[in-house]
Amino acid sequence: MRFHLSHLAAMALFALLVSVAFASIGKHTTATRIKYALLSFFLFLAIGLGVAWLMYPLSR
Amino acid sequence: MATEAPLTDAHAKPNPAGPAIVAIAAWIVPGLGHLLLRRWGRALGFFLATAGLAVAGYSLRGEIFSPRSSDPFGALGFIADLGSGVFYFLSHLLEVAGPDLSRASGDYGTRLIAASGIVNLLGVIDAFGIARGRRG
Repeated sequence: MRFHLSHLAAMALFALLVSVAFASIGKHTTATRIKYALLSFFLFLAIGLGVAWLMYPLSR
Repeated sequence: MATEAPLTDAHAKPNPAGPAIVAIAAWIVPGLGHLLLRRWGRALGFFLATAGLAVAGYSLRGEIFSPRSSDPFGALGFIADLGSGVFYFLSHLLEVAGPDLSRASGDYGTRLIAASGIVNLLGVIDAFGIARGRRG
């Protein structure tokens, strides 16, 4: 099986799966795990996009 | 995802396997250490995260570091890759076409494979801590 991902899609996949692992470690109930995983996922994306925009002037 | 109750007396029952056995099981098969400790939610979470990252990394044709790497970064990459246990040992079956770093996807795959191993090593440490009674 082979496939291609954009940079954003690869980051989102990484963020989703690592968030699941973090939620598994940090929380004890299903409900708190889901909340923590969602928060972690969106923070990964927001911080990743924020850093990308901060670095944008350096690419020009 | 299975419900896992907060730390209670039910979790305080003696662990049938020793901490070392739990740690080795958790390394070889992601989630197995938690399964031995009857932590179903954590077992499923670690298996899904490790397997997902590893399979995606191999599908993107990331680089698999060998133990005979000459530079320090290669050695660190090998340790990270080895952390995913059975997914590292099966890497040559999962990535039959070999690595392709001529495209950006191959580079993303290299990072995902390493992340898979690191996530599983976190699971090993967590399972070991639970087995020793130091974590909830």
